[in-house]
Amino acid sequence: MTEQDLDTSYTSLCEAITRVGESRAPLFLAMLSLSLIARQSSAGDVLALIAQAEKNSAE
Amino acid sequence: MAETVAIPERVTVVIAGGGPVGLSLAALLAEYGIPSLTIEADDGYCTGSRAICMSRRSQEIMGWFGADAPLVEKGLGWTAGRSYFRDKEVLHFDMPHDPAQRFAPMVNIQQYYIEEYAHDATRRHPGLAQVSWSSRVLAVEPLADASRTGASRTNASRTGGVRVQVEVNGTPRWIEADWLIACDGGRSTVREAMGLQLKGMQYEGRYVIVDIEQESQRPVERLAWFDPPSNPGSTILMHRQPENVWRIDYQVGDDEDPAEAVRPENVLPRVQSHLDMIGETAPWKPLWISIYNAKCLSLESYRHGRILFAGDAAHLVPIFGVRGLNSGLDDAGNLAWKLAWVLRGGAPESILDTYSSERVHATRQNIAYGAKSTEFMAPPSYGFSLMRDAALRLGVTDPSVRSLVNPRQSSPISYEGSPLNRRDGLHQADAASAPGQPAAELMLQRNGLTRHLTQWFGRGFVVMGLDLDEGTFQQLQSMVATMTAPQGLPAPDVLQVNSSGTGSGEAWQAMHGGGRRYAAPQDGAIYVFRPDGYVLGRWAAADMERARQALAAFHLS
Repeated sequence: MTEQDLDTSYTSLCEAITRVGESRAPLFLAMLSLSLIARQSSAGDVLALIAQAEKNSAE
Repeated sequence: MAETVAIPERVTVVIAGGGPVGLSLAALLAEYGIPSLTIEADDGYCTGSRAICMSRRSQEIMGWFGADAPLVEKGLGWTAGRSYFRDKEVLHFDMPHDPAQRFAPMVNIQQYYIEEYAHDATRRHPGLAQVSWSSRVLAVEPLADASRTGASRTNASRTGGVRVQVEVNGTPRWIEADWLIACDGGRSTVREAMGLQLKGMQYEGRYVIVDIEQESQRPVERLAWFDPPSNPGSTILMHRQPENVWRIDYQVGDDEDPAEAVRPENVLPRVQSHLDMIGETAPWKPLWISIYNAKCLSLESYRHGRILFAGDAAHLVPIFGVRGLNSGLDDAGNLAWKLAWVLRGGAPESILDTYSSERVHATRQNIAYGAKSTEFMAPPSYGFSLMRDAALRLGVTDPSVRSLVNPRQSSPISYEGSPLNRRDGLHQADAASAPGQPAAELMLQRNGLTRHLTQWFGRGFVVMGLDLDEGTFQQLQSMVATMTAPQGLPAPDVLQVNSSGTGSGEAWQAMHGGGRRYAAPQDGAIYVFRPDGYVLGRWAAADMERARQALAAFHLS
């Protein structure tokens, strides 16, 4: 993805999260994650990303 | 300032506000032999460093009045930056060194030096640019505009204009001016006097700016910390300035009272805590403290008859885009040649409508760019805040998201859609050099001498013959020689460039592949640049007549 596309997607996501609000955000993000996962070519990459997010989100 | 000036009753140009934009405009007008009177409330240059990051274009514009040398000598150039999340570095960027460039992408320097260099430049034209210090504008009265009745091409029409009431050392008096340029800042008196309002929005997030003097061995880089242990929950930016000065910006909580936030007893401990964390242990002292929030505001038009607005008087853009003073100088650079052409009868007053439309267009681009940076530095809502947290935490281990943490790479302002742009006659060449685009820099060499294309700008129009055979170039030179500039204004320049960089003789060789941005395959090309370095038009060599017509609109031929 180009930097421009990454920026556009990121900004759009920020705005969507603000619109759905804090209480609905987990469900929204779960649904989005699922859409994106389903479009990856294999589980290998996805599992690595899950591990990274789990690790880096720890306090 | 010790100098006193006798103020005449009628002046050609009054500039309200002797800050960096006002003084630079006075200097630019003086280069064209246009006299001006600048009214400045303070008795000298600004105190406190305010704007500090000077872009490449600003350095070029200051070069138009000979101030680039002291700027580059004193300022601190930088190309790199680091961003930290908590205690880990998540990003280190280094803008690639472009060997064809004349100036560093950014130079840090205190605003009072910019004012000093611009003021020095005006003094090189004795009697032309006068500055009345300790003076302020009290009232503004536009005079009936007679110029619409057809006198628009007459030299310095004495009908129309503005009456300006100024107070000089406590004594009020009225002056008549042909033109009034409001460069009087965010709280512009002229704007208020005209009943005009900036429109747009502001962000909630507040930042304290504090300048401190402290020796340091750190390289000159843009430094940013998100949620650092020294100031949890805050964001901190640091920039180095000349004379051992650190600029430190830190975000304050939305619930903090701004008046309390700037008190030294609330500021200094936070600064100390951060300096301790990053290992800067040399003794230090505070110089200046202020507070700001990011603004996206603009007038709808920067021209109101004989009154024009420039700099913060016209627009306020978010600080994180570093385009506040830079866009103000760009305003001055766009305005000066147009006003000079109008005053010398070389263009109708309506060309100043293009000053407004082009610079309003630029402000929109600057605001969009600044808003992007602000969304990251001061997230405006829950979604931006959450995603920033995600980007920073992932960025520690995942390179693919780091560009989001980067201050957005800036692209130059384009005047796409401006009525001044000629129809593109060279579609096969790069769109980056189309009419309305700023001229991309070229490093040029000829007979062992090196010059940059941007060194030709800031005077008259510039004609570039690219990859022309000798006969065609001579034809071009003859054509340009028929163009007489309006009295007192610079004649057009013409230069011959070889885009491959490998030829010899009289043509300048474009080095480092820069010519590719202009060349049309299999064709010679003609480019005409405006005095402010923007592409007016471009054509195939066979269409020289169109280039002639484009030039003739601004010359007596």
